[in-house]
This record gives sequence, structure tokens and C-alpha cells, in this order.
Amino acid sequence: MRGYAPILILILVAVALPIIIWNLSRLLRPSWPSAAKYSTYECGITTTHEAREKFSVRYYLVAVMFLVFDVETVFLMPWAIQMKELALFGLIEIGLFLFLLLFGYGYIWSKGALTWE
Amino acid sequence: MPTPTLTQSLVIALLQAILVVVFIFVVVPLTLYAERKVLGYLQLRLGATRVAGSLTGLTGFINRNMWKLGKVPMLSYWRGIVMLVGDILKMILKEDILPTKADKFVFFIAPAISFCASVIVFAAISFVPGTLFTLPAWVPIIGGLPVSGAIGDVNVGLLWILGVASVGVYGIVLAGWASNSKYPLLGGLRSGAQIVSYEVPLTLSLLAPVVMSGSLQFGEISRGMAVGLPFWGIVPQFLGFFIYLTCGFAETNRLPFDMPEAENELVAGFHTEYSGMKFGFFYLAEYINMVVVAALASAFFLGGPWLMPFGLHGLLNPFFSAHLPALLVPFLCQPHAIFFVVKIIFLLFVYIWVRGTIPRYRYDQVMAIAWKYLIPLTLVNLLLAAAVRYCCAV
Repeated sequence: MRGYAPILILILVAVALPIIIWNLSRLLRPSWPSAAKYSTYECGITTTHEAREKFSVRYYLVAVMFLVFDVETVFLMPWAIQMKELALFGLIEIGLFLFLLLFGYGYIWSKGALTWE
Repeated sequence: MPTPTLTQSLVIALLQAILVVVFIFVVVPLTLYAERKVLGYLQLRLGATRVAGSLTGLTGFINRNMWKLGKVPMLSYWRGIVMLVGDILKMILKEDILPTKADKFVFFIAPAISFCASVIVFAAISFVPGTLFTLPAWVPIIGGLPVSGAIGDVNVGLLWILGVASVGVYGIVLAGWASNSKYPLLGGLRSGAQIVSYEVPLTLSLLAPVVMSGSLQFGEISRGMAVGLPFWGIVPQFLGFFIYLTCGFAETNRLPFDMPEAENELVAGFHTEYSGMKFGFFYLAEYINMVVVAALASAFFLGGPWLMPFGLHGLLNPFFSAHLPALLVPFLCQPHAIFFVVKIIFLLFVYIWVRGTIPRYRYDQVMAIAWKYLIPLTLVNLLLAAAVRYCCAV
């Protein structure tokens, strides 16, 4: 665990940095609040309704596909490190795995999930 | 070499962390300055390359006196530096606006997440294998101890880098959501979807160096790709290098993939409602991420801290040691952090170069590039890397 202690120090420094910079700039910057200044930006017109409403389902699809493919890359990692040792067995295994994955990939492509209209 | 105690190693780590912060705060403003200037030359914009090169004002006073002393005025090489000063001053001095409708806590914490994540990534980046420098004996507590070239060159370094770097996307999505405004929400969503999409080919293209070097440790991959192979990583991984750079550009929201900041569509994307130093943190995070992407590219594909390309180390080192002046030998034969930093700076220039050359893509094109072209290409590239690993025994 000794190798990770320095990383903890960097994390502490990285967290302290925004706090320090933020408070230093507070000494310098002006603060004259007004209702108009603090209103939501909408090209100069009055805001009509809440911003958080329904959005395209495609974003959700992208998230799901990302999940599948990211797990795939995680599964590829151990093979990538041990490739030489696993030799032919590993190659066949990973070939099968990728074949199944590419089958699904072809399926979602044919269904048009990858095309953004 | 004395082994440091736990306290000593923690103090050294603090020193390293401060060095990393100094490195960031030197390189990032210089990149900002270079960006203005290089873009000024590329697009024939006169202001950025000429401002403050005049003979009036303070710089003019120095310039005139340098002429009188018979010297070329140095400041004229630094034309445009006042624009950098202006940028930084504006970031610090502008009023901080917190919209009444925004979610206060999340609005506040989102830029900090982006910034912290981009700094923490540096923990696993190894600037040079082994010792960076040895401290002189008069330093209290840690005198005479070596400072290594990486804060923590852990054996899961690459996973650490990928994992922490992808935390940055939370900052962007949360900023878009917390603003409670239409443009930031759309910008945040777009940006989130884009970064998440490009993460897959990015990871897959970084798997190729892992396959070729058989390790996840940053320093080991760097060594394996620079001197383990008969040539630099870019030769067998030419395709991988370009896929990686493309994904890196998209990950850092840079042109030609700066969808969230497409001004003509979304005002300023996820940071529309941000001002002052909070905006500054997003700005800094973007540039720090650029440095990280450049660091990974130069370590894995461009030979990292080794200068001699194409495996000429073994061939030329005896020759250099025998014939060159002793001062040059450690520079040409051994890995050195300077070469690593020079390669990073070159890649940062490429960033700016591409920005000045290639126009922005449409959003559907951006997503199509990631899902339809880059993912199959990276799998082919992975096969290529596996073949190289089988043929050239490392």
C-alpha cells in the first residue's frame, strides 16, 4: 500500500487547490448582486418554463451501449496483459468473446441505434 | 541509497505534488498564450500576434531602452503576452454569478470535480523512469534522498488514469443539470454522450500498447513502447496513434469535436451560466486534460523520455559515450524528462494546429465517427498489436 500513499497526498493537494484559488479570488472580485443578473440566461427573453424537461431517448441509448462496450474493454484488459502467456488458448477465447460482441454490434447497427437523426 | 522512512516519503510526495502543480500552472498559461498566437498566424488575425509590440507604454519604454543599449528588444518576441495577462486577470477579477434557480451546491461543486479529476490523473504519469533528481544534503528532513519521476508509478497506472479522467465527465453533466437553464442542460447532455462514446475507442486504442508491453504500469508501457520494441510505438501503432489522438481531441472537447461549445447552437454549452473563477476551473480542466492526453500519447507512441528514435539506443550509445563531450552523454543516451516535456509541447501545438485547420463536425457526424468507424478500427488495430507482439518477442 506504500505506493499509494503519495497518490493520497496528490489528491489532498488537488482538492485543496480549488478551495485556495476560490477564496483568494474572493478577496479580489466584486460582488454586486441584482435580480436581473442572477436570472437564468435565455437569449435576453424572460424564462417561460422549467429547463429540466423531457429530452431525446438517444442519450439513454448511448449510455446503455457505452455500458456494454466499456465492460467489454474491461474484460479485454486481463487478456491484453497476459496475451503472451495465454497464447493460442487466449486468442481463441477472446476471438469467441469478440465474435459474440460484434454480433450484437451488427444487430444494433442494423436496428439504427448508431445513427443519430 | 538510503531508504526513506514513511514520513520522508510523504514529504517527498508533497514536493512532487507541488512540482506537478507548478508544471501545470506553467504549461497551461503558455498553452493559452501559444493558442492565441498560433491561431493568430494561422487565421491571419493581426491582434494576437502584435499587441504590446509597440513603442508606447511600459513595454515600449523597455523596448526603446533596449534599442539604445544596442540590443534587440526582447519583448517584441513576446508580443501578445498582455492578452494572456488579460485572460488570467479577467478570470480572477470577474464577479461570480450564482443564478437563483440553480442548484447551489451542485453548481458550486461541478467545476471543482472537473478540475480535481484532471489534476489527480498526474499521479500515475511517470515523467522519467527512476530518479528525476537527488535532493542536496542541506534540505531539512529529506536531504540526500532521490525524487522519483512519478508520484506513484503503481502497477495499475493506466487503469488509474482512465478511471480518474472519466470522473471529469461528472463535472460537465452536473454543471449542465445544476444550472437549470436550457442551453447548459442540452450542452451538458451532448457533451456527456460525446465523451462517453469516445471513451470506448480511447480505451481500446490504449489497449494496443498494453498488449505490446504486457503491463499496465505507466513507466513499464512507456519503456516497452520506446526501447522494448525495435522502434518507437508510432511505427507499428501508426493507426492506433491517430485513433488515440482523435479520441483525445473529442474527450477534451476540442475542435473539431467541440460540440458542447458550438457557439452558434448552444451559446456556451454546459458553462453558459458560469462566470469568474468557476468558469476558470472548467477552462483550466480542459487545458490540463489536453496536457494529460498529450502526455499519454508521447509516452506510449512517441518514445516518452527517450530521445533516440527507432531503437538506436543500443547501437549508438557506445559511440556517443566514446566520442561526445561528457556533458552531452547523459542527454543523448539516457531517458530525460526534458524530452518527454518537449514531446508534450509538440502535441499541444498539434492541438492548436488542428483547431486552426479543421472545421467543426455536426453532432450526428461526431457520434457516427465514434460508433461506426473508430470502434471497428480499434479492434483491427488491436489485432495488429497482437500480431506484432507474437512476431517481435519483447
